[in-house]
Amino acid sequence: MHLSGRNCFVVSYDIMDPRRLQRVHKSMKGFGEPIHYSVFRCNLTPKGRVELIAALTGLIKHDQDRIMIIDLGPADGGADDRIEFIGVRAVDSSPKAVIV
Amino acid sequence: MPDLIPARMLAEFAYCPRLCYIEWIDGEFADNEDTVDGRFQHRRVDEDTENDPMDDDLEAIHLRSVSLAGPEVGVTCRIDLLEKEGKRATPVEYKRGKAPDIPEGAYEPERVQLCAQGLVLRENGFQCEQGIVYFVRSRKRVPVTFDKALVKRTRGLISELRRAAIEKKIPPPLKESPKCNRCSLAGICLPDEVNLLREMEEKRGSEKGIMVRVRKLIPARDDYQPVYVVGHGNSLRKKGDVLEIWSRDEGRIKEVRLREISQVNLYGAVDVSTPALVDLMQRGIPVLHFTRGGWFQGVSLGHTHKNVELRMKQFEWAADRKRSLAIARSMISGKIKNCRTQLRRNDPEPSAAVLESLDRLSRDAKKASSAEKLLGIEGAAAELYFGRLDRLLKGNEDFSLQSRNRRPPKDPVNAVLSYLYAVLAKEMFVTLLAVGFDPYLGFYHRPRYGRPALALDMMEEFRPMIADSTAITLFNKRELGDKDFIRTGLGIALTSKGKKTVIGGYERQMEAEITHPLFGYTVSYRRIFEVQVRLLSRVLFGEIKEYPAFSRR
Repeated sequence: MHLSGRNCFVVSYDIMDPRRLQRVHKSMKGFGEPIHYSVFRCNLTPKGRVELIAALTGLIKHDQDRIMIIDLGPADGGADDRIEFIGVRAVDSSPKAVIV
Repeated sequence: MPDLIPARMLAEFAYCPRLCYIEWIDGEFADNEDTVDGRFQHRRVDEDTENDPMDDDLEAIHLRSVSLAGPEVGVTCRIDLLEKEGKRATPVEYKRGKAPDIPEGAYEPERVQLCAQGLVLRENGFQCEQGIVYFVRSRKRVPVTFDKALVKRTRGLISELRRAAIEKKIPPPLKESPKCNRCSLAGICLPDEVNLLREMEEKRGSEKGIMVRVRKLIPARDDYQPVYVVGHGNSLRKKGDVLEIWSRDEGRIKEVRLREISQVNLYGAVDVSTPALVDLMQRGIPVLHFTRGGWFQGVSLGHTHKNVELRMKQFEWAADRKRSLAIARSMISGKIKNCRTQLRRNDPEPSAAVLESLDRLSRDAKKASSAEKLLGIEGAAAELYFGRLDRLLKGNEDFSLQSRNRRPPKDPVNAVLSYLYAVLAKEMFVTLLAVGFDPYLGFYHRPRYGRPALALDMMEEFRPMIADSTAITLFNKRELGDKDFIRTGLGIALTSKGKKTVIGGYERQMEAEITHPLFGYTVSYRRIFEVQVRLLSRVLFGEIKEYPAFSRR
């Protein structure tokens, strides 16, 4: 169903200017979890994916920076199994009710 | 006399009259992938001047984003690009998709939109014989001639939409249309649900109890999740697109992406920074404030809902005793049915007599001649039901339910039930606000200062399977124990940890996916809340005659 399911995306970026890098990092934190320097994992709906692209498009310099977005398929369809961690595991980013 | 019709709305009206009505008259909107992408692509089109496909003609004057009104035609428009040569003008409309492979070159909505723009241009003294649709994906200009037939169709649609706006009558949903599949407003419009209920009302009685499968056009669960912060000494701050939760003793304890939040619930003295509050308001995320004990104190919300028509209808119905009673009867009948289902499914030795009495009371509720009678029937059913509920607490002999009591509850089970009813009431409150209702004016519960009467009405049918069921599970699975309760002078209260356990159990239940008894699709309870509230609005607008309470078999 195009409306509900989330896909797992790995987003990585090279930003040539430190200020822009900071802005991109801050913006990315609104979409997913940082799993490495300049690499995020985001579980996004189709709408979220378009919002991510729109947000990043407005932030980067298109002749200097580059961003790669890899779609790992449905977040609940074993996308996590296709990511292998060696060493410290990154935290899960699937949204659920927060009770503090 | 309504305002001038935006040409874009006329295109929507040609595509689906109901879609246009919901957006323009009701002021409702919902985004999906397509609408977000549409705006994004359009923004790029507006900025994209270097690669302008029209630049090869240097003679002409090009104007971008031209706003123009035509009071005679009754239309206002924003023209993406206007090509002007002396008195001759040609509007160009950008569309993000590919050019369709049809003889007309463009679909009717686009042609009508352009033609309306053309009529406005003519009224403003231009010569305008044709327009152009520019399809961004295929980089193709498709000319549209404003011939007699198109002008006639356009004018016809303008007066039809005008009539719908004056009469305030929502056009019926499309039937089985593939257009609904990608429509972002399907969850508001509920096309198949409304069509089904109307059909059932037409041939009443003949197919009682038959579950019909309709297309699932609404998502199974929410994209957004609630945040609960329990206990004083916590504070909320905003950093970029992230909401941070800080504890006085432990520093930053949690980060939540603002994009993924549906509501924020604050129990006890929790601080919220102004930037965080304003951001939440801008995103339309309600912030609900409760006392430490769970008493609902109020809500911080951005601009309220635009759907004024719905609130006017609600006040009209609430002032009418007969119509209020009709809605209340369905709700209470549904609630009693659900109490019965709860016992039938979970009582280890269900009492045939009690089940039969509940069945009878549920039917009596449907026919109650006054609100007072209905209250009596509800009371009788509650007594029977709560009298049996203790037997459902089979897994945990430490706890029992002697009778339902409150203010303050005298035993742990009642404490948990009271707490859960308060959480359920706020859930309904938030859903009602989101749909555009006034939660304080009910049809069954009478208004009293600060009491969200409509939320209490709407939650009746959900009490047994959400609140009662959650309480029973929490005790039976021993997720709650003695240490989760404290004895106060007057009664029993939950500890802070106990409250979090109860909220956790409640959230599990709300996210559980169940099959809708009427529509046959599988969705979460939270979604069903919204569907029920929207169906109630369809009743007030006269689209369906009787409120179909949610009842499981």
